[in-house]
Amino acid sequence: MLPSSAPPERANKNPSTLRGLSDDLTAAVERASHGVVAIHARPRIPASGIYWNDGIVLAASHTVRRDEDVPITLHDGSRVRANLVGRDGGTDIAVLRLTETPVPTAISVAARARDDALRVGALVLAIGRPGSEGVTAGLGIVSAVGGRWRTWSGGEIDRFVRLDLSVYDGFSGGPLVDVDGSVLGMNCSALARGAPLTIPNATLDRVVNALLTRGHVARAYLGVAMQPVRLTRSLAEQLQLADAPHGVLVVMVESDSPADTAGLLVGDIIVSAGGSPVADPQDMAELLGAERVGATIELSVIRGGERRSVSVTVGERPTNDRSRRGRGRDS
Amino acid sequence: MTAAAIIGAVEVRRSHVALTNDLEQLSDRLRRSTVRIHTRGERLDGVGAGVLWTHGPESLVVTNAHVVPPGRGNEAVVEDHRGRMSAAHVVARHRDHDLALLRLADSADWPEPIALADDRPLRVGELVAAVGHPFGVAGALSLGIVHAVPNDHHTWIRADVRLSPGNSGGPLAALDGTVLGINAMIVRGLGIAVPARLVRAFVAHAAESVDADS
Repeated sequence: MLPSSAPPERANKNPSTLRGLSDDLTAAVERASHGVVAIHARPRIPASGIYWNDGIVLAASHTVRRDEDVPITLHDGSRVRANLVGRDGGTDIAVLRLTETPVPTAISVAARARDDALRVGALVLAIGRPGSEGVTAGLGIVSAVGGRWRTWSGGEIDRFVRLDLSVYDGFSGGPLVDVDGSVLGMNCSALARGAPLTIPNATLDRVVNALLTRGHVARAYLGVAMQPVRLTRSLAEQLQLADAPHGVLVVMVESDSPADTAGLLVGDIIVSAGGSPVADPQDMAELLGAERVGATIELSVIRGGERRSVSVTVGERPTNDRSRRGRGRDS
Repeated sequence: MTAAAIIGAVEVRRSHVALTNDLEQLSDRLRRSTVRIHTRGERLDGVGAGVLWTHGPESLVVTNAHVVPPGRGNEAVVEDHRGRMSAAHVVARHRDHDLALLRLADSADWPEPIALADDRPLRVGELVAAVGHPFGVAGALSLGIVHAVPNDHHTWIRADVRLSPGNSGGPLAALDGTVLGINAMIVRGLGIAVPARLVRAFVAHAAESVDADS
């Protein structure tokens, strides 16, 4: 006979709103969990992945440390294998393809939320599957939504989405879902010093398409290293730049790069590109989106105290193995 | 604004008020059954949480073993949510399950004991509440969700709920106020609770020494 406390008081007969919210959250987890897999491609704790469509699984690139025969655990605990199709270190997205056809029935494409569902204050769940022992969830809110931004490793992300929730094992590569269980994006803790971020669906689609069609994500490239400089008042006045007496100083030109071919020299000061003023290297980076690859851009440079125009044909950045793995917290 | 829109807005606000009321009731109920446990150490005094329990005429408190470590002796002071104090004596500890049982010297008129939840499967995402004294703040409520269901490798409850030192020994409860587990530690940001099943088994065993004592 157990020493018992008072008999457990039964719950309110009428489902309260708090109870209703709890039921909605568990239903959202259950609904989303069929599209969340575990990816065993690093030592110790496996990472999460999202089943995207047609045998394609998305993961956080920094969690995928092998390219072939990657074991994947599905919702029902069964194991399949996948091979890496490609990865983009800039956005920390890796694309894998299941080797098994047809795709096992234990996996289903996650429902996707509308893009306008990403709003500050929205209640969200981060779903993970850090192994064979089932799905995990964290609750929080969207804490900030901004515009297009560039990661530390040069990737372009369509919207900045920061989360107010805890980062736990299996967070990266798992989906962020709304209270209906619909996917808002892929979670990642390696893009902003361990802070929880979500890569929105639009970026996932764009990068997946690029990786499936070309094997990599094209990134515009000039082949120069730059640093910001301020012009002297007399020089700025002389060159009619008094309104914006800034530019970027070319401190290095890579051999055989688009900048080298165009005749850009160390010591040139770029004051505008494509007609837009340039005050620091970030301005240049923003003018050089992937869509500019192959395009010709007019640079206005100061050389020997005079302004001159240099035409550069924007190239494509050579693939860089250094970007294979992200930095930041490994979760 | 149409009449329907106004009525809709009023209903939405009403449901949000109901949500807050539900939380308030839940925290009131958990606070009544949660106590503070003061221990005396040679260098440092300790404060932890515990939950009230009854066994026949005895008033007992269940807490974590690490809240009443052997190094601080077997005597402690227990304080309820109204500030009422009583001396208490540690009658049993289970180091592996991080549980301890205390008997209150003064057994009359304690607030209601906790109700342990039935052994039911937890669901990932279900809302849970914790009450404790994080960093000494008395009776603080935290709301979170079940992070992962216990399995063969992780037999304790993992909850995505904000816990701090001072939550140890306090309840992790379901929305109906029944206690799912005793909060014991924080591991990689997750709250880890000893499940009700182990608490029930521990008290069943430990209560024998209460009977032997009295």
